[in-house]
Order: sequence, then structure tokens, then C-alpha cells
Amino acid sequence: MENIFYVAKREFKSYFLTPVGYVMLGLVGLLCGIAFVLSFLTYVDISQSPFQYGYSSVPDFEETFLSPFFVFCGILIMFLSPLITMRLFSEEYSKGTIELLFTYPIRDRDIILGKFLASLGILTLTVCVIAGNSFLLLPYTDIEPIVLIFGLFSVFLMGMAVLSIGMFVSSLISTPITAGLVSFGVYLVLFIAGNVAEKMPEKNPAPESLPQVLQKIIENMYFVVRSVMLELPLDNHAKNMALGIFEPKDIVYYLLWTVFFIFLTFRSLESRNWKG
Amino acid sequence: MIRVDKITKYYGRICALDSVSFSLNEGERVGLLGPNGAGKSTMMRILTGYMPASYGSAWVGQYEIHENPIEAKKLVGYLPERVPLYEEMSVKSFLAFVAEVKGIKRREINSKVAEVVEKCGLVSVYRRVIRSLSKGYRQRLGLAQAILGSPPVIILDEPTVGLDPQQVVEIREMIKDFGENHTVLLSTHILSEVAYLCSRVIILNEGKVVGDILVKGGETPKEIEDVFLKAIRAGLENLEKGA
Repeated sequence: MENIFYVAKREFKSYFLTPVGYVMLGLVGLLCGIAFVLSFLTYVDISQSPFQYGYSSVPDFEETFLSPFFVFCGILIMFLSPLITMRLFSEEYSKGTIELLFTYPIRDRDIILGKFLASLGILTLTVCVIAGNSFLLLPYTDIEPIVLIFGLFSVFLMGMAVLSIGMFVSSLISTPITAGLVSFGVYLVLFIAGNVAEKMPEKNPAPESLPQVLQKIIENMYFVVRSVMLELPLDNHAKNMALGIFEPKDIVYYLLWTVFFIFLTFRSLESRNWKG
Repeated sequence: MIRVDKITKYYGRICALDSVSFSLNEGERVGLLGPNGAGKSTMMRILTGYMPASYGSAWVGQYEIHENPIEAKKLVGYLPERVPLYEEMSVKSFLAFVAEVKGIKRREINSKVAEVVEKCGLVSVYRRVIRSLSKGYRQRLGLAQAILGSPPVIILDEPTVGLDPQQVVEIREMIKDFGENHTVLLSTHILSEVAYLCSRVIILNEGKVVGDILVKGGETPKEIEDVFLKAIRAGLENLEKGA
């Protein structure tokens, strides 16, 4: 288990020996800061004249401002995370350092979990940057700190799932830029799939000209495909959490994504030992 | 110390190693000689656990490399051909990391690192970033990480390739020096190098062992030269036939 820590320490330090760590934190800080100020000013406008914006009274602060802000931060991390994940394995492959790593007496488990832990370290720092913005609100509003903490936790969970996907992609591809682009593409597809599914009708009856058995099969397949597509965007479950609504299924959802893609990364590394 | 039993390795349909068998006794310094594409690097990668063989077995000490990879890897120090290093790290932090993952006890890390830094002549660049090192110093650092922790078996894949003559001499002296107390397997295609460094030469050609010759007195035995040149000629003829 100590080896996990050693790999994580080396990997985490490397983020700050290269510009990657600074660029990631700088971009998150800058873009979240801009989003925070703009949406806060918009909320101030809305609360001063809610009728103009179609509200009957001053809208709920958490629902109108806080939750969308946290979800935005989660999505931002999702699209910036390839910066972190593309180097995890792809860079080792492209520079050849993986040959050293694989010939040291450490297990694949130590390498994968160590690298994932290091990327979680960067994620924690980015969540801290976002927290810096959010906690500015505390002296001026009556938001419960626990709501803020839960919102930040939702960003962290979403980031964790995203990093596990990126790490898996990185374990498959030997050029960092390609790995980054593919990860970005995967997130985009997941994001778009969910939005498309939301616009699809709940039930799509099959043509009546078809036999009844076939109609039933098509309807059930449609239902399953739509339900799966609705679950694909990683930001959906964060929306609830960012409102301070605690539902274990949301946490389980992110944990399942993470565990599944870490498992796939294990398989990916293990495949080199298949005798061919 | 090393036992290779009918190792065969295929890359797709290409046979890189064809039922190769040999063994190395403790303290032996053996050169793996062969033209490019003979299968030297593949053999070394299998012995270090980087890749599996398609068929056959290889033991380091008492451990079969595919069945007990961690235990076997603990006995091996390896310098790959390209000397891959974490460019952004300093020499100091890189060697400390290697010491950690090799399982050297925390209280011994500083002394063990200092020992290899001294042995490999890295004192003057100890705090430098690896990116800024010359090719010669990178090679020394590669050797340092291989011998760190004093593993009983050292495997070196073309340790002097790409170095200038002065650096070649220095690296050879270094290998000769630490080779006194270790079992060393090094690959090269330079005849004089094996004659100088090794007590025995295994000649590989087209994935097969074509010679296993003892070296005495630092001279290149005629037998090595003959077998090696024959192998190269056979390779050239095959190339011509293919063309």
C-alpha cells in the first residue's frame, strides 16, 4: 500500500514541476470567478425586479444561483480534466518511462491507484479554488454552510467520475494529446446524449401496422435506451446535490462510474500480460 | 541466477524469439550479442517482466517471472535501451522515488542514494533537473537507478549506445566496477565491448541462440567474430532475398 502513496506523491509533484497544475488551477479560478461574478450580478438584478424576469417574487437563491453555479463548475472541470488525465499513462507510454515503472517491483494496483490519487489531489485543489468563491457569500447571505459544502462535494464527486474515465482513456492511448482529445470527445458525447434524451418523448409507440409482440419489443427497447441516455450526462445528479438535497443514489451513481472505469483501467494494464 | 527455458515470443505473426534457452550463474557477466533485430531487447524485456513470453519460462533466482513478478523484479536492476527518465524531476528526487518503489527502507534511502550517486559520478549534477542533463549523465543516471538497492541481477540494454568515445570508456569502467559483485546480462552489438566486459557471450540471431562462447583475457575470440559475422551475413542475405 505504501507504493500507492509513493506513486501518488511523484505524480502530484510532477503536476507542479510542469505548467499543467498551474494552468488547470488558473483556468478554473479564472473561469469560475467570471461565472460567479456574472451570475451573482444577474441574480441581484432579478431580485431587484423579479417581474421583469418572469418571476412572481424574489426567486430562491440556492435554486437560481448556487445550484447552477456548482453544476457549471462541475462541467468546467469535466472539460478541463483532460489536461490532468492525458498525462497519467499516455505520457508514460510516449516517453517510455512506463518501461521503468513496469519493471520496478510494484503492482498494477499501486500504479493505477497512485496515479488516480494524484489526480484527485489536483481535483481537491480546484474544488478549494471554487470554495474560495463560494465562501465569499457567507457574510452576506443566510445560506447554511452545509449547503455550500454539499455543493462543493457534488463538484468533487462529478470530477472524480470524470477523472476515472480520463484515466482509462489515457491507459489505452500512447500520445497525450490524442488521449486528451478522445477524453474530451467522450465527455461531449455523454453530455449531448443526455440533452438529446431529455428532448425525446417519454413513450414512442411503434407503428400499429407491426405485430403486437414486435411493438412491445420496440417500445421496451426505446424505454431502456432513453433511460440509459438520460443517466449518461454526469451533471444530472450533481444538480440535486448542489441544491443541498441528500440522496444516497446520487453518491452511489458517481461511485459506480468511478469504480467501473478504475476496473477497466486495471483490465487495460493487465492486457499487456496476456501471452500473445 | 537466471534461467531461460525455451522462450518464444511472437509479435503478431513475426517470431522475435524462437525457443531460446540459456542460464547464467551467480556472479557471471554475460553479453548478449547480436545484430539489430536479433531479439536482444525482447529477451531483456521478458526477463525484467515488462512483457510476457508467448511460450516458455524464465526464472530470476527461484522466481518464475510471469508467476511471481514482484519477487522476481526485486532481484533485478534494469537499464532500458532508450534510458527513459522523468525529465521534470531532479536527479535527487528521481533516485529517491526509485529507492521508495524498490522497497528500500526509509531510513536507508539517503545513504543508498548517496552511494550510487558517488559510484556513478553524479555528485556534480545531484540537484539538477534531469531535462538539463547531457546524454552521458542521463546514461549514468539510468545506471544509477538500475544498481540502486544493489539487486543481485543487473540487466543492461545497450548501455553505451549513442555515447561519445570518452563517455563509452567511462560507462564501461563503471559497469566493470559494479559487475564484480553482481550477475550482469548486457546486450550490445559491439564485439570489443563484450570482450572487455564479459566472461561469456551468447550470440542471438533472428531469435535463435547461434553461439554460447567463453571469453578469456579480454580478447575477442576468433570464434565470436566468426559466429557474429556469419549471423550478420545471413541477415544481409535474407534482406536481399526479401528485396
